[in-house]
Amino acid sequence: MASSVEEVNKSVRAFMKVFAALIILTFITVGLSMVEMPTHSMNILVGMIVAAIKASLVGLIFMHLNHERSTVYKILAFTGVFAIVLFVLIVLAHGDRLVDPNF
Amino acid sequence: MDIPYTVSARPDTGLFNAKIGIWLFLASEVMLFGGLFSSYIFLRVGADYAWPIHELDVWPGFVNTLVLIGSSVTVVMAWASLKLRKIGMYKVYMTITVICAGIFMGLKAYEYSKKFKHYAVKLTDGTILTGHLPHGYEIEFGEITELSMTIAGENKAVSAAPLSHVLPFVEGEIPTFTTAEGEELTLDEAGWSAFHAQIIDAAEVKLANDKAALVAAGRGAEADLKYLLPDTSVTLKPATPLKVRVKPSKIYGYTGDTITFRDGTTASGKLINDRMTLEVDGVDARSVPDAEKSLAWKPEYLGDEWKEEFVHTRDSALTHFADEYPSRDPSKSATLQKKAFYLHIHSPTPEGHAADGDAHSAEAKAPSEGHGEDAHAGGHGHYPEVILEKKDITFFSNYTPKLNTFYAIYFTLTGLHGLHVVAGALVLLYFLVCNGKMLREDPEHLANRVEVGGLFWHFVDLVWIFLFPLLYLL
Repeated sequence: MASSVEEVNKSVRAFMKVFAALIILTFITVGLSMVEMPTHSMNILVGMIVAAIKASLVGLIFMHLNHERSTVYKILAFTGVFAIVLFVLIVLAHGDRLVDPNF
Repeated sequence: MDIPYTVSARPDTGLFNAKIGIWLFLASEVMLFGGLFSSYIFLRVGADYAWPIHELDVWPGFVNTLVLIGSSVTVVMAWASLKLRKIGMYKVYMTITVICAGIFMGLKAYEYSKKFKHYAVKLTDGTILTGHLPHGYEIEFGEITELSMTIAGENKAVSAAPLSHVLPFVEGEIPTFTTAEGEELTLDEAGWSAFHAQIIDAAEVKLANDKAALVAAGRGAEADLKYLLPDTSVTLKPATPLKVRVKPSKIYGYTGDTITFRDGTTASGKLINDRMTLEVDGVDARSVPDAEKSLAWKPEYLGDEWKEEFVHTRDSALTHFADEYPSRDPSKSATLQKKAFYLHIHSPTPEGHAADGDAHSAEAKAPSEGHGEDAHAGGHGHYPEVILEKKDITFFSNYTPKLNTFYAIYFTLTGLHGLHVVAGALVLLYFLVCNGKMLREDPEHLANRVEVGGLFWHFVDLVWIFLFPLLYLL
């Protein structure tokens, strides 16, 4: 956690860089969505990768997750597990087939 | 009592307490939104219709993305300024953050209100016509000479309430009514409650008589069981035949000769008009096996001119795609399918014909507006107006969760996110307005508060970073 004046000043410069990066990535997101990729799934994948990069920047820099106490990571580890389970459940449901193929 | 560890870190966790609190809360929030994002995937993968792509106006979402990113920066700068004891800058940054939240919600309201006024009408062959209902959609039903209703005793949930379920839709003066006994009745608050009380009294008398008869017959045990007031069926005849004009959602249903209101009142008469006037701004033929045979091109609806326009747009989109991406399967490109089979309409007559000259199209438009038949309709002139037969319509809705699962998840996700924006903005506004004393006496404590409020605000931004591409772009 940044506490000294020097450290805060250093963070401020990082905030501005991230701000610029987020704006640029937003334009990239919109631009990429207009490109006709071989399949639309690829558009979705690329879009989500860009969004994940943006989200990481916000999380790591703005939310100070790049230098946080271990307690926070321990809390988030649980969330990570549960969030993954939530997404896997959907995959399981999608793979679920009824016995009657004509249903 | 002072709350411990609001400023200094608690030795075992290494953090001040509020920060542990906010991270626990955010951890639960991740799972809340995670569940909703996974519902989004589920609905999208399982959709049995063309999932809307590039359906929403991109610019409000785009501007909102920039606004939220900007406010994320300002809230973190507010925190940094406070840490450096630049009080003036802290206030400026916090104010900008709250204003950004206001802009975000303002744009959201603009987007929502547009959707509430925009309609999609699904025809029996799968064609979807989109547009606006210049007069709303109401059915007209006339020649009603009798209202039949049931006034519930105690064993029925629905009781006749014509004052609020029938009379509001009657056109013109409300006449007096005659009861089966030949009494004259004015259906107003006083008249109805007197009549209602009379019916209930009669029902009570009947119940008492029934019980007495059972007791007299030596069946007292049965009499004890019979305690519910009976229902009473009533027919009322209006002095002059009634005509109603009502939204289909305000009644139970209708056929060619009967109409049933929400309170169970039924009336026989004659259906006068249940056609729908729609200002068409789009024809989505993606679900129609043969788009050229879509009902939309019936001469009474959009007709051959628009069909030609559609065919022209479709063929040029398909040709262009084939030239550009020769190796790809056109049926697999969702964006091409949309471009080719979803005709957007921006003018009252097809552009291909208007190209001859503006005067020509103006001429073509003038007589159609002059038709006496729909003199009251007189559309805005921006879109062709069609009058749809009820038999051709299977479903219609404005752009709300009722329309399809895309809008259901759209409103769920953006609505919940919007609530978070409002809540976060209120908390930050509270720090700015009500924490003046803390700012003077214990700025470090306030800095911690702002950090915690900021963490929530960043999370809200983070959710939007995923929502924007998923809902608006992909």
